Amino acid sequence: MISLQHVTKTYKNGVTALDGVDLEIQKGEFVFVVGPSGSGKSTLIRLLLKEEEVTKGQVYVAGKALEKITPWKVPHLRRNIGTVFQDYKLLQDKTSFENVSFALEVIGKPKHVIDQRVPEILDYVGLGDKLNSYPDELSGGEQQRVSIARACVNRPLVLLADEPTGNLDPNTSVDIMRLLDKVNKIGTTVVMATHDQAIVDAMRKRVVELEQGKLVRDQSRGVYS
Amino acid sequence: MARLDYYFRETAAGLRRNGTVAFAAMSTAFIALFLFGLALLIAREFDLVIEAWTGNVQVAIYLDDPVRTDTVERLTEQLGQLSAVSEVSYEDKDAACARFIELFRNQPAITDNVECEEVIPASLRVNLADASQYEQIPAALGCAPDDAGEVVCSAPGVRAVADYRELLDRLVAITRVLSIGVLSIAVIMLGSAIALVANTLRMGMFARRKEIGIMRLVGATNWRIRVPFLIEGFIEAFLGAIAAVFALFLVKVVFIDRLRGEIEFIPLIRNSDVIAVAPWILIAAAVVAVIAGTIGMRRFLDV
Repeated sequence: MISLQHVTKTYKNGVTALDGVDLEIQKGEFVFVVGPSGSGKSTLIRLLLKEEEVTKGQVYVAGKALEKITPWKVPHLRRNIGTVFQDYKLLQDKTSFENVSFALEVIGKPKHVIDQRVPEILDYVGLGDKLNSYPDELSGGEQQRVSIARACVNRPLVLLADEPTGNLDPNTSVDIMRLLDKVNKIGTTVVMATHDQAIVDAMRKRVVELEQGKLVRDQSRGVYS
Repeated sequence: MARLDYYFRETAAGLRRNGTVAFAAMSTAFIALFLFGLALLIAREFDLVIEAWTGNVQVAIYLDDPVRTDTVERLTEQLGQLSAVSEVSYEDKDAACARFIELFRNQPAITDNVECEEVIPASLRVNLADASQYEQIPAALGCAPDDAGEVVCSAPGVRAVADYRELLDRLVAITRVLSIGVLSIAVIMLGSAIALVANTLRMGMFARRKEIGIMRLVGATNWRIRVPFLIEGFIEAFLGAIAAVFALFLVKVVFIDRLRGEIEFIPLIRNSDVIAVAPWILIAAAVVAVIAGTIGMRRFLDV
């Protein structure tokens, strides 16, 4: 599903964020990417979304070489990838329903699809009774659920989560992890960058560790360190 | 259908959010397009005056009544051989009258009181290859000033020779100064209009940068993101254009129509002239919108 081959990313300011990384992720896997700040986790995610170009090496997502995707085809790549962030990135002037439907509306999905799928996915993430709540009426955990619903509503092949529990207390984090696990169980490949040790240790999933841009550990059913 | 609805909502929201800036952009576009139209109308007005006063030729040779065909042929040939002459054409009485009536169509005070067939003579209309050798023409026709200072010609059938070189030069010069002057101001204003429209688009994109960020993440195409802003730019420019056309009509009614009948022998622009200018104003507005869109959205929309 995802394949990185000898990937090096050097930014214009000379910083090397990733250095010769090889990584294979199969369809349906759940992978933690761990490592301290600045180890290259976020760069990895940006490369997969083609927000950045690799300096050297090859990246494949869903069988496609990203370097061969022309800029105007990039949106179609991103429709296959859901993204979740630490800060939720919800629009404050839109309700849960509208935040999720926005994602379908802007890729041109017809209204009847939106009206069917949005309540369905919000129910799936456990917010069936909060369709009309605004983000500031929701708890952090609930807001993250809306953002996961938005990421999943178009049924992506891959879900990328960048520190999704970074702003949440431990109990809420566990709930969010259960939800991500549930999303993974229905076949979505999940890649989650984190430095939440407790969660990584509890989940016992594959762990990939980055340190100063190098892949230093790749362990199935691993722990944080 | 859902798509049209989406674009309409996004555009309306954008215009509302950016009200004052959008208004500034619109009024600048209005002034710029108004001046642009004004320059075109000034040029048109002077075209009419030049046509009326000189018939767009440098020299007219008026012929005695009744005009004889062999006179016309003989003079045409004779003039055609002069090195100063580039073109000779014959305008008979009917054509001269028709031109006169057409020019003063809106001033019946003139057309009603002039007995065209009697007053307007047939003429040979001459354009010069070299205006400085004009003297060849009166010399060839045997024209010279008489004691009273009036030019009389000895060639048979020739009533008078009218030298429009200077008048034509002056009229053309005035037209140039006026219309190029107004046009330059219009171009500067069009530049500001482009900058202001581009700026509103940019501010709109900045205000919506979070939405745009999300749109990109979920895979909205660039055009999906751009189109509402482009429409916004077009609406601003076109509202300016419509206001400009109305303002030009107003100028015509308030200033030009008052002169009708007051000034004799100057044909004035008509409604149809203003209407003829309108498409050019709309084209200019479209150009403003396209350039503003290109400039305004370039920076924000690199993938």
